[in-house]
Amino acid sequence: MRWRSPLALLALLALIAAACDGGEAVDVDDPTGEDVTDETVDDDPDPDDDVEEDAATGGTLIAAIGGDPDQLDPHTTTSSFAFTVLENVYDTLVQPGDDLTPEPALAESWETSDDLLTWTFTLRDGVTFHDGSALTADDVVASFERIAEEGQNAFRLDAVDSFAAPDDTTVVMELNRPAPNLLDQVGAFKGMAIVSAAAIEDGTVGDEPNGTGPFSFVSFSPGDNVVLEANPDYWGEGPFLDGIEFQVIPDESVKVTNLETGEVDWIDSVPPQQIDQLEADPDIEMSQVAGNDYWYLSLNNAREPFDDVDVRRAIAFALNIDDITEAANFDAATPNETAIPETSFWFLDYAPYGHDPDQAQALLDDAGVSDLTIDLMVTNEFPETVTAAQVIASQLGEVGIEVDIRIEDFSTWLAEQGDGNFDAFALGWLGNIDPDDFYYAQHHSEGVNNFQGFADDEVDELLDAAREETDEDARKALYDQAATRIVDLASYIYFYNPDILEAWSPEVQGYETRPDVATRFATTSLG
Amino acid sequence: MSEHDDAEQLQAPDEPAEARWKETLSALFANRLAAAGVVVLALLILSALLADVVAPYAFTDDDLTRRLEPPSAAHWFGTDELGRDVFSRVLFGARVSLQVGAVAVGISLVLGTLIGLISGYRGGWTDIVLMRAMDVLFSFPVVLLAIAIVAVLSPSLTNTMIAIGVVFTPIFARVVRGSVLSVREEVFVRASRSLGASDWRIISRHVLPNVAAPVIVQTSLSLAFAILTEAALSYLGIGVQPPRPAWGLMLLDAQGFIATGEWWMSIFPGLAIFITVASLNLVGDGLRDALDPKQRSIIQSRGVT
Repeated sequence: MRWRSPLALLALLALIAAACDGGEAVDVDDPTGEDVTDETVDDDPDPDDDVEEDAATGGTLIAAIGGDPDQLDPHTTTSSFAFTVLENVYDTLVQPGDDLTPEPALAESWETSDDLLTWTFTLRDGVTFHDGSALTADDVVASFERIAEEGQNAFRLDAVDSFAAPDDTTVVMELNRPAPNLLDQVGAFKGMAIVSAAAIEDGTVGDEPNGTGPFSFVSFSPGDNVVLEANPDYWGEGPFLDGIEFQVIPDESVKVTNLETGEVDWIDSVPPQQIDQLEADPDIEMSQVAGNDYWYLSLNNAREPFDDVDVRRAIAFALNIDDITEAANFDAATPNETAIPETSFWFLDYAPYGHDPDQAQALLDDAGVSDLTIDLMVTNEFPETVTAAQVIASQLGEVGIEVDIRIEDFSTWLAEQGDGNFDAFALGWLGNIDPDDFYYAQHHSEGVNNFQGFADDEVDELLDAAREETDEDARKALYDQAATRIVDLASYIYFYNPDILEAWSPEVQGYETRPDVATRFATTSLG
Repeated sequence: MSEHDDAEQLQAPDEPAEARWKETLSALFANRLAAAGVVVLALLILSALLADVVAPYAFTDDDLTRRLEPPSAAHWFGTDELGRDVFSRVLFGARVSLQVGAVAVGISLVLGTLIGLISGYRGGWTDIVLMRAMDVLFSFPVVLLAIAIVAVLSPSLTNTMIAIGVVFTPIFARVVRGSVLSVREEVFVRASRSLGASDWRIISRHVLPNVAAPVIVQTSLSLAFAILTEAALSYLGIGVQPPRPAWGLMLLDAQGFIATGEWWMSIFPGLAIFITVASLNLVGDGLRDALDPKQRSIIQSRGVT
């Protein structure tokens, strides 16, 4: 949006000039136009025509995101805002297709040995990084080794013993166990991005993003914006835009207003209470897609009395997740006592709790717990957790449990979570695809995201076995058993699967909201 | 013994305390705006104290079937996004705001007066060290410093009060020190010192009463700013924690519902803040005029005519 106002001003100046100089407008404003708009508008000599010209040739998409990317290193960030940007800068070996099953991306094809322990990927020809260097198998190997060493996503490569690059277009992975979900893991999202080996060596992955995606990185001003420009050598379809400017707009209502007034073209979320209003607005395309995200409450198993499964179950019985869902999301979410949404193949129809305060009271009495006060940690960066917390407080109040709500900013929140400094917290996990994403890191006793300290041998065995099971139905049966036990033991108390809500101006063509929240603008155009 | 009598004599020109108070009050009430402020404040304090009795609902009383209802006979100020009664929450919010205001300003009043007294009365190095420390505190923007303090202490009602109290301390310290500096050199103070009166006696009998007027004015003005600061902190989510209602917090909640037309969620807490702060300012202005000898004689002469 930055450049449109000066442009309008220029048009106005041109008009005034025209009035003064009696028809000499073009001569007068031409040089000015060059000077002022050079950086942002193509080489078009006549600024007066730019608005129409841009619509035809591509233009810059102004996208609003709700927060600052904490960093632009795909392997170390966990911020959803970073991935909204990086989705368009980087590629993975394979990527989730429209039905979320893996489809070729940087790898054109792949083969598996009979014992399922050797995977051979063949890379696409002629792919180059934004700096012009060619993508080789060495870059892929270096990327995976970096992820396995220091990334947030090392667990996704647990099954892989070694990566090798026998030639420039072949990558071989040796596994220590069969991993039927390997494709889902190596291509789950841009956290598994392929970066250049040179950037890893120079230590510039985070500072100078150099990917193979449809857009290349131009600049990042924290708190303000991230600017990308089209990569003319992109291997896939597109890009049709000249560039994308991601503007950081933390306030949801400001974001919506900016879309309504045309200040931005696309927004990354919509407050659920405004769905009806935006759907009725002919100048806004509102998109609502059932997603794979889930929101939950987690109790600190390392602290008394939450180490007692009866206390955790009592809390599950005392909560009314229909009300929590309704309060936090209006109609834009589906209550679910398990993690995986019903739209998924891996959905388990299991809801043992319902809303039963009497049962909750009985369990609490049996456990000998009274006068319980819970320190519940939530964050304003995800306002649904603050709303949910107030409903939780009131519902638990009915069984005599007092809830102290503690709002922290998200970075403090994450630190407190890591330190185990909480009785309970409410949050969500976004963009999961494979059932292993939903359960392993969160509920395996050695899972990296098992902040609640849940440990159950049977769940561990089931999750370990399910990872290696190659038969899909047998695998689902294992995950169903694991999920049942996780729900029964209330490792997480699940609330709902929210719809993914995005909105854009009708000018934006060729963009689809995806259930895995991947924001792909490769084939988007402004028309 | 004789020492005592001399001191009494020196103070004699002052009017009896009771009469002075009456005069101040009548001067205050002669100012119609200030009088209105006093009345509104009295009502606010009353409703805050009696919120349990007056409020038709508990502030946590949620009912999702009645969410976002406009003002009606059942819910005078409408209901919020969880179906809670906005009127009741505004009443209970008054309790939070006034409590934070009173305690925070209490903290800064005591601390600031103490520091100002010591600093002004002792002078020298004590004065330099204390006042430079106050200058450092004072150089931070008020809200920013309060945010920093709350961030360190973790957000809660108590810590909000402490943070605001600390932030406002330098203002009182400066006001008190300034007055002490001038009073210290007055003839009657020097006289009682020459007669051998102890520091404590001089401070309590002569200095304190003479710095009271500016401190009282500053207190009522600081109350207004303290309440505003609390609202700001709560609005930023680092003040009072939900579900306890605070006006700033209610504004934060309401923000997401402005575009969809639920105006009552933001208007009423906003009005509450406006009215409280405005009346505190009016009272503060009135007090300043009433306690200023020059202004007072003008008011009195006006009253006579």
